[in-house]
Amino acid sequence: MTDPAIATEAPLHAEFLREPWDGLGLPQEEALSYQRFGATFGIWIFIASEVLFFGALFLFYAAVRAEHAEAFATAARETNIVYGTLNTAILLTSGLSAAAASLASEHVPLRRLTQWCLVATATLGLAFLAVKGMEYRDDIAEHLVPGRGFKLPEPSAQLFFGFYWLSTGIHGVHLTVGIGLVARLIWIGWRHPERLPGNPQVEVTMLYWGFVDMVWLFLYPALYLVGRPG
Amino acid sequence: MSAPVSAGAVWRRVLPVWLGLMALLAVACALAYAPLGPWTAAVSFGIATTQAALVALLFMRLIEASALIRLTAACGLFWSAILFTLTFADVLSRLTRS
Repeated sequence: MTDPAIATEAPLHAEFLREPWDGLGLPQEEALSYQRFGATFGIWIFIASEVLFFGALFLFYAAVRAEHAEAFATAARETNIVYGTLNTAILLTSGLSAAAASLASEHVPLRRLTQWCLVATATLGLAFLAVKGMEYRDDIAEHLVPGRGFKLPEPSAQLFFGFYWLSTGIHGVHLTVGIGLVARLIWIGWRHPERLPGNPQVEVTMLYWGFVDMVWLFLYPALYLVGRPG
Repeated sequence: MSAPVSAGAVWRRVLPVWLGLMALLAVACALAYAPLGPWTAAVSFGIATTQAALVALLFMRLIEASALIRLTAACGLFWSAILFTLTFADVLSRLTRS
């Protein structure tokens, strides 16, 4: 496959090749090109399935909000917009370093840039989780956990916070997995610097990171930008 | 699009996108307090969609991906559209009756 978008000037490493590509008897360059395309294709299929997974969550939100618009506005006013906006900015910046890492990983001379961008991505991911943790602490202190002793009298306000805890929790799990994957790449780059440039795993991991970013971009208006004018 | 070879070329490609995303974040945050009435949700989710499109096309490089990859990415949106349309056909018809 000779797709110019996946052509790379990075050196070809036999260790990047996985089954079954090395069993086809193709020239190494062609086999790696096939594998690179397969990796990108595979992660996009995963992302499309994840879009449906999060789509169902947002569908719950949209359907309940259509029915209980007033209660949702009242409940959403209780979320902390400062933490929410700060975290959106942190995640967008991590998206920047992830995109830069993906681009830089295609070139051998940019190996150090790739490594530092990966470190920045993981650090910003951890910063997001730290801010989220502080926000959770405040939410718990303000009795915003659905159940007995909930702060607001409207029953449907609890549905909003049910969605809040579930969606931010699942997003947090996804982000934690992402940090783990990036940490793994950092470890590879630290122990075997020659294995970072041209490694298809960098692009795959960065595509996953981009998706986790996109989920938050929709959670931000859903959780923090509702009911503010009132 | 030709691939960049220097660190400067990498940043020249991604930094403008990041600046655009941050500007849209500031606009979204400011407009949430504007008295737009029923348009508030449309505006905030419209901005989020624009930001997500920027991330998908330029950070995740769908803009230069092959047709098969773009089709795969579009599948998720297509199936979600079916999910939303069929569910809302039910939810909205019951809301208008009550």
